[in-house]
Amino acid sequence: MALRSGWLKNPWRRAEQRSHDPYWDFFINTAPADRANSLLDVLRKAPEGNVFPTKADLHTPEVTARHVTEMARYLGADLVGITKLDADEAGHPSAIVCAVRAHHDPSQAPGIGGQVPVQNGLFVTFVLSAWIRELGYRASMAASLDAARLAVAAKLGTLDRTGKLVTAEYGTRVHVADVIRTDLPLAAA
Amino acid sequence: MAVTPGTETPRPPYLGRSVRIVGPVANVDMNQTPHPRNSRGELGKALFNWYRNTISRDPLTRVSAPNHFADQRNFLASVVNQAPKGKINSRQVAVPDPAVMTRHIKAVARHMGADVVTVARAHPSFLYAATAPPKDSAARDVYQNSSGDVFQGRTPEQMAQRYPYIIVATTAWDYDKLQAHRHYIGDAAYHVSQMKAQMILKALEGYIKELGYAALRGVSNPQAAGLASGVGELGRNGLLIHRKFGARIHMPDPIMTDLPLVSDQPVDNGVEDFCKVCRKCAINCPTNSVPFGDKVVFNGVEKYKINWLTCYKVRPYMDAHWGSCLTCATVCPFTKPNVWWRSLTVWALSTCPIPARPVLVRALKAIDDRFWGATRQTRVRWLGYDSGIKPGEQACTVAGCTAPHGTAHAANPVGNVGYYAPLKENTNRFVKRDA
Repeated sequence: MALRSGWLKNPWRRAEQRSHDPYWDFFINTAPADRANSLLDVLRKAPEGNVFPTKADLHTPEVTARHVTEMARYLGADLVGITKLDADEAGHPSAIVCAVRAHHDPSQAPGIGGQVPVQNGLFVTFVLSAWIRELGYRASMAASLDAARLAVAAKLGTLDRTGKLVTAEYGTRVHVADVIRTDLPLAAA
Repeated sequence: MAVTPGTETPRPPYLGRSVRIVGPVANVDMNQTPHPRNSRGELGKALFNWYRNTISRDPLTRVSAPNHFADQRNFLASVVNQAPKGKINSRQVAVPDPAVMTRHIKAVARHMGADVVTVARAHPSFLYAATAPPKDSAARDVYQNSSGDVFQGRTPEQMAQRYPYIIVATTAWDYDKLQAHRHYIGDAAYHVSQMKAQMILKALEGYIKELGYAALRGVSNPQAAGLASGVGELGRNGLLIHRKFGARIHMPDPIMTDLPLVSDQPVDNGVEDFCKVCRKCAINCPTNSVPFGDKVVFNGVEKYKINWLTCYKVRPYMDAHWGSCLTCATVCPFTKPNVWWRSLTVWALSTCPIPARPVLVRALKAIDDRFWGATRQTRVRWLGYDSGIKPGEQACTVAGCTAPHGTAHAANPVGNVGYYAPLKENTNRFVKRDA
């Protein structure tokens, strides 16, 4: 929604506004009593699948980078960037950084609703890395501490003074998903 | 006469104009539905081998289709659906006003990414028969029937009383990619949004348990719940046709719950009147599985009945070209982008008095045939895929690609015609139409 000011909203749809929803705070801010009711652990801890033994017939690295970006967007990423890795312990030459829009900062909102951006980010990175493995190339997703730094290297935005990513499109209301490190031949965007 | 609570049979549910319950309905046995029957080998060797032993040659199908993966760990839906079940929160959230909770649950599902959310009042006939779940991993991935949610010795009547609401939440397929029906591009539109819907439903199930209420999966027939809650009307092609998305919506396994909610009512989109006139899906079906004739009564339900066996049987032979046919959904005149002119048209059709509708429908059908064609032959390009390349040929049509492709390539096709295997003229001569 482009319109953010409350007084401009339709008065006849007041009942549907989130500030009028008595359960919305529970949804966003109350951490689940049983972690099994949240999907995040399941997706994070799922073992990585095999790399398909036959490599797919690829296009040039520029075209492949475009296709990976397009696929990530189709899966639901709002921002996608590709960057080269200098020293990766597993020897992966490139990293794909996806970011999704977050209405609430997932680190401040532990509820199932507050973690929805994390869930959406995991959906993108899980399927995208599985797809790259099925193309015949290695790809692994992992939550990394330098995700924000890599996002800057992938030209998604800049860092503010607290080390959070600031993007032109969504400001700081963005969640950087797990970084995918891969040896798929990709040109940095 | 004294009746034990929970044993009296409620009145048949109203499912809208498109489907009428005219007799006793036997609860559907999940083990007798097509995929479980096929996994037991009851539908012949070709289908069995296709279902159990085929790895797709398309990388995206290998990560998004319920079988045909090379490695199950690369398939998100199996990870999500085989996850352990969470416990119901012992601190139940109080619900003084079910209407407020209904709005909340719908907002939650939308926030998670669902395109359609409705609530149905549970009816015993919506439930699957209480049998053991199929011992088949692929069917389990699709239907979630491996869950510990069992009837616990209750009858369907008692279940519907104890868990009175069914939440139907689902996603729509991408319109532009769907134009490449019977192609891997259309498969991508179908399978990716299916995975997404399964993830959303699993997350919603977890959230309802966190609210302190039960959430049962694998117990309710999604199409019946969808009809009762006004997701859409049942079309000639056997699919629910939604007001905004037409036939391009999934019907994944809904959530049955005891959370106090307010149920939605069946809708009238004009599908009933349209299907009487329009036979686009029947004409375009490559196996002639969609009926040209009138509704029939099957299991006490009066509806259009497709021949699922012939629909199913073509798949092993088309494995190299596509996984899901989707033709009947694509050619349906209700399947259009969700824009103002389609909203206006559906509004005009559904507000038109019923006796006057056949005239309007004929006009709309003529417009549809004129502008969208009697068959869909749109050329779609997405990533490296291109439906303008004839089935069996190979070519690289990506702009700016200078890569030396290893295999022999045909000349790049020109024009805007898409080719979708099997071509209709190749299948017509084998099948005698019934009307």
